[in-house]
Amino acid sequence: MVDIIEISITAVGAFLAICMFTTLYGKSNPLYALAEESYIGFGTALTVIWNLLFIYNTGVLGITQAGKYALIFGILFGLMVLLRVSNKYSYVARIPIAIAIGSQFGLALRTTIFTGFLDQIRGTILPLLTGSTQQMIYNWTIALAVILMLTFFFYTTELKGPLGVSSKIGEYVMYAAFGGIFAQTFMGRLSLFVGFMQNYMVPPWKIPWLLGSLIVVFGAVIVLDRMHLLEKLTPEE
Amino acid sequence: MANTKPAGKSGYRYLVEYDRRIIYLLIFILVLAPLLQPFILPIQVSPDTTTYYNVLNGLKKDDKVLVVFDTEFSGYMEIQSGIIASIRMMFQHEVKVAIAVAHVEATGIPQLVFDQLASVMQEHNYVYGVNYINLGYVFPNEAAVAASAQDFHTVVRQDAYGKSITGTFLDDVKDWSSWTLLSDYTTGIQSTALINHYGLKGTPMIANVIGVMISTSAPYVSSGIYKALLGSMRGGAELEYLTGYPGPGLTAMNSFTLGHYMLMIAIVLGNVGYFGYRSYQNKLKAQEVK
Amino acid sequence: MSEILKSRTLQMVVLVLSFLFVFVPYFIDVKVLTDFSTQLITIAAIISAFTLVLAVYSQFRRGYTFVHRRSRGWIFKAYMMTSIVLMLIFAVYSQTSGPYNWVMYAIITPLSSVNYSILVFYMASTGARAFRARNGRALLLLITGFIVLFYQAPFTGAFFPQLTPYSLYITSTLVSAAGRMFLISVTVGAIVFGMRVLMGKETSILGAAKEEK
Repeated sequence: MVDIIEISITAVGAFLAICMFTTLYGKSNPLYALAEESYIGFGTALTVIWNLLFIYNTGVLGITQAGKYALIFGILFGLMVLLRVSNKYSYVARIPIAIAIGSQFGLALRTTIFTGFLDQIRGTILPLLTGSTQQMIYNWTIALAVILMLTFFFYTTELKGPLGVSSKIGEYVMYAAFGGIFAQTFMGRLSLFVGFMQNYMVPPWKIPWLLGSLIVVFGAVIVLDRMHLLEKLTPEE
Repeated sequence: MANTKPAGKSGYRYLVEYDRRIIYLLIFILVLAPLLQPFILPIQVSPDTTTYYNVLNGLKKDDKVLVVFDTEFSGYMEIQSGIIASIRMMFQHEVKVAIAVAHVEATGIPQLVFDQLASVMQEHNYVYGVNYINLGYVFPNEAAVAASAQDFHTVVRQDAYGKSITGTFLDDVKDWSSWTLLSDYTTGIQSTALINHYGLKGTPMIANVIGVMISTSAPYVSSGIYKALLGSMRGGAELEYLTGYPGPGLTAMNSFTLGHYMLMIAIVLGNVGYFGYRSYQNKLKAQEVK
Repeated sequence: MSEILKSRTLQMVVLVLSFLFVFVPYFIDVKVLTDFSTQLITIAAIISAFTLVLAVYSQFRRGYTFVHRRSRGWIFKAYMMTSIVLMLIFAVYSQTSGPYNWVMYAIITPLSSVNYSILVFYMASTGARAFRARNGRALLLLITGFIVLFYQAPFTGAFFPQLTPYSLYITSTLVSAAGRMFLISVTVGAIVFGMRVLMGKETSILGAAKEEK
């Protein structure tokens, strides 16, 4: 026996989700606006709640329980950042923003040089003569493909002679890679949709709610469109 | 192509200029229909998934694993099969699991996972605080990830339910080196930060990524930062197949298959229409010239 | 005091010092420096969390403008603002049960799921209408795309294993190489951009444009 809370969650969830799918109809409609504003409103509040909790757990408890008094500056600077919304006192937020940005750059640059650059180059310079023929073919392809594709993006010099040839081959290699990337991207997006549908089809008692929402919502959109009411009822952008 | 107005009629024209909503409707039907009566077909397991499975299989009792749900809820819909299969293996190996979340929408995921794996947890006597813990939203930004890698208890003092973590197995966790494995389930929110501050330092990492991230995550596997990579729902289905516990991944593969075939057929028909219509228009022009 | 806080020079000095106190200790293993760096990083994490709290203000400001002007559909904006307040009230009672939980599973998670899954429809219709084998490059793209799509479809992948080596070759080499190439390019760009910010050549990131308006 399924309880009323679970049924209400499924019914409302299916209804709002299908409302969001009405964007596929091709015209703005009030049901899509309802779903959109629900997501924006409740989602914004969710972000704020969990960030306030993070500030409390890390900052306030860090000061009161762990005795890390330096974190008082974190709370203080954080409150200064909130003044960014004021036209008169927005300059107060400059120093905290500078600290946050400077620290974030320090964090990113100290490691990205390795993970995004040196390690990738190291990973490209593979042994070109190995025992296994398959591994050799793979290694040659990776090394050549990266070099050829990079030459395609040389914008500071004229691409002629050997550079022009490698750039041309690199362009073809890139298109071949894009085919594979497109296939993987499509797989990813299809998985998202299939996962969503599964969520509303397992267990089977959820199926009527999903199908019912589909019929009601799209039916309403089609009827409103026929009556020329879609634009009148849709909020302004 | 859309601006030309040929004199004659052609069936090819329809293949080029049909209403795109037909494609939308077809996708809906082809995904919905197999899910109404799901059945499981065999699946070929890729080398990447086998490597991922072997890494999890190498875990020993009481190893400490940091599981990071680094995804919006939409991403969870894609990789939930991989998440459930992976954490099932962790529970079966009786490792200590700490779950951290890097996006506000993912705060509801841990409970969904615990509900689905309740029987496994009961079978292996999992006790909250002793064998597993839900830390909640502790990685809101890169600075929090970096701080936790340097000194874990600076960032994390309470669990997701507001209780102190003192007295749990996390007392032994100091920094990045305390973890046997970091398992990242990601749509890319803090994956780079985790790589930079945990993986690069030396914490063994595995990742279950969404489809669009596979090509950009693969270089981290070949550079050794990721020990293994599981890709999208397909990878999750393969892992379910290897573990012998069919779940949402395997049951979704029929819809998956039909969706792929639909795209290929649509592209082929589009090209047939394009070239056929172009040839038809050329014939018309030649006739007009005569 | 306000003149000090308004100073762009001071802002740049603080930015560079913050950068150095986080960047340098990573390479020099001195305990005092590392501890200071950890504290600074934690402070930065707290400051960043505060900036997200500003999201409420921006949503309310946007919504209030609509409601005040009684623009078409203002009721939706009023609903949005009410939903923010309601969710904050629900969270005060409990973040793991009750009405908060109901909203989480009935509203936020389904809508989040749909957000990105809609893209499959656009990808499929774009693929069907825009992918034309007009030249050699486009044909190559379609061929490799089809090989990987066939392999990815579990039915063909399982019953026609002859495709597997070709698909694995494409994904393990060409796709991986393209990913690597983009990663290297983006990293170089990020490093250059970071250097420009530290040298004071990119003021937009510090919010200068908004204030000067």
